[in-house]
Amino acid sequence: MTPPAQAAAEREALAPMPLIAGHPTDAQLNTELLAPIFSPNETWKKLVGLAAMGSGMLVIGLTVTIARGIGMWGNNQPVGWAYDIINFVWWIGIGHAGTLISAILLLFQQKWRTSINRFAEAMTIFAVMQAAMFPLVHTGRPWFAIYWLFPYPNTMGIWPNFKSPLIWDVFAVSTYFTISLLFWYLGLIPDLATLRDTATKRTQRIAYGIFALGWKGSSRHWQHYRIGYLILAGISTPLVLSVHSIVSFDFAVSQLPGWHTTIFPPYFVAGAVFGGFAMVLTLIIPARKVFRFNNVITDRHLENMAKVMLVTSMIVSYGYLMENFMAWYSANPYESYLFFVTRPFGHYAAIYWIMLFCNVIVPQTFWWKKARTSVAWLWIASILVGIGMWAERFVIIVISLYRDFLPSSWGLYAPTWVDWFIFGGTISFFSLLFLLFLRFVPSVALAEVKELNHEMQHEKAHAAGGHP
Amino acid sequence: MKSLPVIQDHAEPRPPGHRSLWQSVEELEARAAAGRGEFAAGAAEVPPELSRRSFMQILGASAALGGLTACQPPREKIVPFVHEPVENRPGKRFHYATALSLDGYATGLLVGSADGRPVKVEGNPAHPTSQGASSTWDQGALLDLYDPERAKGYWRAGNALSWRGLLAEIQKLAREHEADGGAHLAFLLAPDASPTQAELRRGLQARFPKARIHVWAPVTEENATEGARIAFGRPLELRVSLDPARAILSLDSDFLSGQGESLRLTREFARHREPGAEMSRLYVAEPAMSLTGVNADHRFRMKGAEVAPFARAVAAQLGVVPGAPVLSPELTRAAKAVAADLAAHRGRSVVLAGLRQPPAVHALVHAMNAALGNVGVTVRHGRPVLGDAAPSSAALPALAREIEGGKLDTLVITAWNPVHAAPAGLDLGALLARIPNALYLSLREDETSRRCSWRLASSHPFESWGDARSRDGVASLVQPLIAPLYESTTAIDLLAAFLDAGDRGALRHVKAHWAARSALDPATFEAHWEGWLRQGVIPGTAEPAEAAPVDLAAVASALGRLPGAKGEGLELALAPSYGLFDGRFAGNAWLQELPDPITKVSWDNAAYLSEATAKRLGVEGGQVVTLALGSRSVQAPVMVMPGHADDAVTLSIGYGRTDGSAVSKGVGVDAYRLREAGAWFAPGLTVTAGKGKHKFAVAQGHFSMEGRPLALDFSTKEWATDAGRAELEHLHGLPATAQVPVDYSKQEYSWGMSVDLSRCTGCNACVIACQEENNIATVGKEQVAKGRIMHWIRTDRYFSGPVANPQTITQPVMCQHCETAPCEYVCPVNATVHSEEGLNEMVYNRCVGTRYCSNNCPYKVRRFNFLAWRPEVPDVETLLFNPDVTVRSRGVMEKCTYCVQRIEGARIDARTGGKKIGQVQSACQQACPAQAIVFGNLNDPQSRVKKLHDDERRYDLLHELGTRPRTAYLVKIRNPNPDLA
Repeated sequence: MTPPAQAAAEREALAPMPLIAGHPTDAQLNTELLAPIFSPNETWKKLVGLAAMGSGMLVIGLTVTIARGIGMWGNNQPVGWAYDIINFVWWIGIGHAGTLISAILLLFQQKWRTSINRFAEAMTIFAVMQAAMFPLVHTGRPWFAIYWLFPYPNTMGIWPNFKSPLIWDVFAVSTYFTISLLFWYLGLIPDLATLRDTATKRTQRIAYGIFALGWKGSSRHWQHYRIGYLILAGISTPLVLSVHSIVSFDFAVSQLPGWHTTIFPPYFVAGAVFGGFAMVLTLIIPARKVFRFNNVITDRHLENMAKVMLVTSMIVSYGYLMENFMAWYSANPYESYLFFVTRPFGHYAAIYWIMLFCNVIVPQTFWWKKARTSVAWLWIASILVGIGMWAERFVIIVISLYRDFLPSSWGLYAPTWVDWFIFGGTISFFSLLFLLFLRFVPSVALAEVKELNHEMQHEKAHAAGGHP
Repeated sequence: MKSLPVIQDHAEPRPPGHRSLWQSVEELEARAAAGRGEFAAGAAEVPPELSRRSFMQILGASAALGGLTACQPPREKIVPFVHEPVENRPGKRFHYATALSLDGYATGLLVGSADGRPVKVEGNPAHPTSQGASSTWDQGALLDLYDPERAKGYWRAGNALSWRGLLAEIQKLAREHEADGGAHLAFLLAPDASPTQAELRRGLQARFPKARIHVWAPVTEENATEGARIAFGRPLELRVSLDPARAILSLDSDFLSGQGESLRLTREFARHREPGAEMSRLYVAEPAMSLTGVNADHRFRMKGAEVAPFARAVAAQLGVVPGAPVLSPELTRAAKAVAADLAAHRGRSVVLAGLRQPPAVHALVHAMNAALGNVGVTVRHGRPVLGDAAPSSAALPALAREIEGGKLDTLVITAWNPVHAAPAGLDLGALLARIPNALYLSLREDETSRRCSWRLASSHPFESWGDARSRDGVASLVQPLIAPLYESTTAIDLLAAFLDAGDRGALRHVKAHWAARSALDPATFEAHWEGWLRQGVIPGTAEPAEAAPVDLAAVASALGRLPGAKGEGLELALAPSYGLFDGRFAGNAWLQELPDPITKVSWDNAAYLSEATAKRLGVEGGQVVTLALGSRSVQAPVMVMPGHADDAVTLSIGYGRTDGSAVSKGVGVDAYRLREAGAWFAPGLTVTAGKGKHKFAVAQGHFSMEGRPLALDFSTKEWATDAGRAELEHLHGLPATAQVPVDYSKQEYSWGMSVDLSRCTGCNACVIACQEENNIATVGKEQVAKGRIMHWIRTDRYFSGPVANPQTITQPVMCQHCETAPCEYVCPVNATVHSEEGLNEMVYNRCVGTRYCSNNCPYKVRRFNFLAWRPEVPDVETLLFNPDVTVRSRGVMEKCTYCVQRIEGARIDARTGGKKIGQVQSACQQACPAQAIVFGNLNDPQSRVKKLHDDERRYDLLHELGTRPRTAYLVKIRNPNPDLA
């Protein structure tokens, strides 16, 4: 091989994979990306039926809980929180990748976010919807909790306790949900207009027309849109950090060994991004296959996400390490017992080791490009990470609670069928919402992909034109 | 005489000459139902065609029946106040003195009554047995009173009888039996020291000279009586005083258990458990861990049959009887040391034998106490107060023979449930069914009532008039707190009915007896009577002590007759249960749910055995095994009990009921199926491992403190050195990390509590007292197993040392009312807040039930209403609730409030009186026989609680967390014998 050819080959090998495969035109992109909306898919119908059935479990689980009481769950003394708060933290964590991809990567001008941000944002909203259910239904008297947790003026002069992290949760989660929804919707407007314009059926035109809010794509519109989108991105960015920090305060502010840990806020945020990206991968890999989005959601996207997971996994692992180090270094007998006896050898040791395997070992494979580009392994690994993150919350919540200070009060926890119904139900309901989203809303940010496409072709043309 | 057409059911109007036609079965049934109407004819409305004639008919009948009330016996009625006394106001609590007897021995009580219904049981401070304390069983009596499943009315062969009808029937029966002197009449009575009943019994004997009066109960003290007969030649009773005792040897005597005089003994024992010259030392020799064994300074575990040789060895060392048996080197050394210690405390020591031990051991104990010069100091002897009403285990076999011999037509049973508790192999149920007239008086329907032709509901003691005597003879009057909730009668009325005096009413019998006995003129008597009722005791009724020389030769010969302890084979040991006693409390959900003080098992009994024996038999905890004695066997789940003697299995009686209320049925294993009449120990037990696995509901599964400084104990030696105290130094006061203390000095009151672990025996009286005071729900076995027991105060129990014979410590834990409470700041709705007097308050109305407070509570004393524990409360049970305490609903957190309702009650009284709040007692403190719990005002330098907070034994539980609890603990001091170290 001649040196120039060799250099070119090396460059080729190092050059990132393309973000958009081929040279599609705008019309091609329209047809390709709006296909799920205009030409329904049989697989989709089956999946929706399945998810709807699964959501029935959620309805049953919640009905039983509200009608009979929390006693229908496995929660007890001393394990006051279990699946309820595990699921809450897990879902909130999953909801993190969306905003991170949309907002932070937007501000950092990471172009690869364009094809997947819509997915991720939708996932965020639906995940936060699942999560938001738990703070309410986990209470003994949700019919009061639904408004007593908000600071509303009343004749009794009673306010919520602003010292309680649960109140901070209420504000953090509701703010996060509102901003995420607005951000998602604002990003959707140009695409809704495209839908309105390409729709052939009158009902679709009217429906999408209403939601498009009269978008015409004028430069004036684009100017306001850009400013608005950037402002929301700016607001969302600190939220990514704040929400899970505050969720971590639920634990860090208490005095229970395994909860009372100052490293929790960053460790929770990293864990959330980690778990969130895993969920994006879990969803996007089958979705791009079913809807044939391979052109715009390329292996490069998947690889980038794997890299993010590798980094966040290392942060999470560092968190695990530090927790153990602190337990040893503090010489606190209660903490030492938790970290060196209860977690690794206690009744729920298996869950602890699953956590370590899924969250620490599995992502280490992403040092190898082969692993990052193997779609099948990525999908399996992403599911394992999802399980690992759920196990992490089990370890934090149940394992810390079931053996705390006084051995006289130690007691085991076992979930009931209602716990499983609610957990399975939220997964199904999440899937249902996601499937509906895939079917009725452009799941890839059409306008942004087109823009990126133009930019890339423009750059290519310049490169071909022999600019120095 | 012409008979008039009486008011009848309306027949369906039918056209003449037509048969009634119907189209479907439903229509036919609907028509029939419509015709019946909701009420019986004439009950709800006047018949439609009220003719002049039928009007006159009803009028006449009303007039005639109206007069019938005058024929009712003069039953003593409790009526609401017609003229409200001026001092009464709604919600004000009145206390009435009464007494409750357990197998004939009375404990004096003060029962609190709110708006005419008894709501809280307290001990009567003036009563010698109670001294203000009360036991779990005394407290539990209240739940029995309001049990909706109590027996109601009088039934003969399934037909209801009126009281008058019953009296008439009994009168008829009595006349028939009088004819042949009562040759076909027998009584099976419960043991009772009531002087009125004794008089009635004498009356019965006079009227029916040939009738047999048996007295029976499952748990008897016959061995002690027999032992006294050997030692003294007559059945004298032992009266123990632990106050002067410095060395105590218990030979399988569970004197802290709740039976007999345990309240007084616990108080006297606890008083001398504080370090100092007055401190006593307790040695216990026993098979299974008992409450007394838990509190021992030295506990020697041995099979039940080995206690006698051990006692002999100690006696031989003391030179009481010759001939020491061969013991293991360890026990020989122990016997030597114990004997030396007892001898060193001549005249200040005491030896006690348990009711399960054979008469010879009791006789030997009398000899030892005499030899040690304890008579007149720690022990006295007196005539037994039960007299002829002492229970005998031979009663049931004798009765069975009488029935089989066809000698019985009428049997009157007031003893508790003889069918269930009959000796194994005696099918008393079938025999009872053969008696034409078996009259059974019982509080609840049970196995026996199903077999008796006459079922008579018994009034609860809180509904009855009567009298009773404590173990030392002091008599008390039993007065009702409420009119009988159901149609029911008392033993006095029933026995009197056989003397044709059933219509006099129990009050008159009791009053007549005491009037005659006191020989006062009527006016003075009335005043005295009032005074006795108010006081709860009748002065001058105590049995005097009698001097009695011990016949050493008889003791030695009785010991010689004892069968030698066989080293081989398994021994079955039966024991009364701490919750259900002999089973009579099986219908009481509080006592069923109360965890066993040692094993913490709730709603169950188990075959307890030692770890080594379990290993040898190849069984493990929870495994169901077959316990067989000869041809009899029961299936029981195994539980390993630390400190249990090897080669022995202990099973509590009182469980495994097949009949009775929903609460009692099917809980645990029926140990009576293995029991010979009156026997407690049986050799030759075989244990066959089964396959089944039993799930226990254990309220405290973990036995070890894991090396954490939680329930602290020191030996007297450790405590005497500075090292012991230095260890405590950093466990109280303000931790370095805590914030500046809140200044309470400007407040008049600052509430606090102290718990003395040296005093606490772990008897659980506080648990039930709290449950009663604070309307705490029971949750049932399944929920206890899930970890949802609701007790606000629990007695934690930890073992340390070898599993074979560990040291035990008990620690009552309730809300610590932390100054910087971890629960308070995490509650999102401000439902748990700090009061300005330092209480950690729980606002039920505001609670939404996030359970965050419970998660953050390091003491885990908060209790959550996971389900609606009381979805529907029967009307009668609502009477049970303390009106001063909110009944919590589902989804709400609850916990100990330091009995805030009592503080507020005292505040109201103080305010109206213009005074400061005086003494306030929490419910747990008031019940505690050991006086281990003290509550009060920390701002009062004179208060006992303040002094205890400043005691050098004080420490704070989990002090290093900086929670700064208002409940202080005082370390337990053990007093081991240096010779046995």
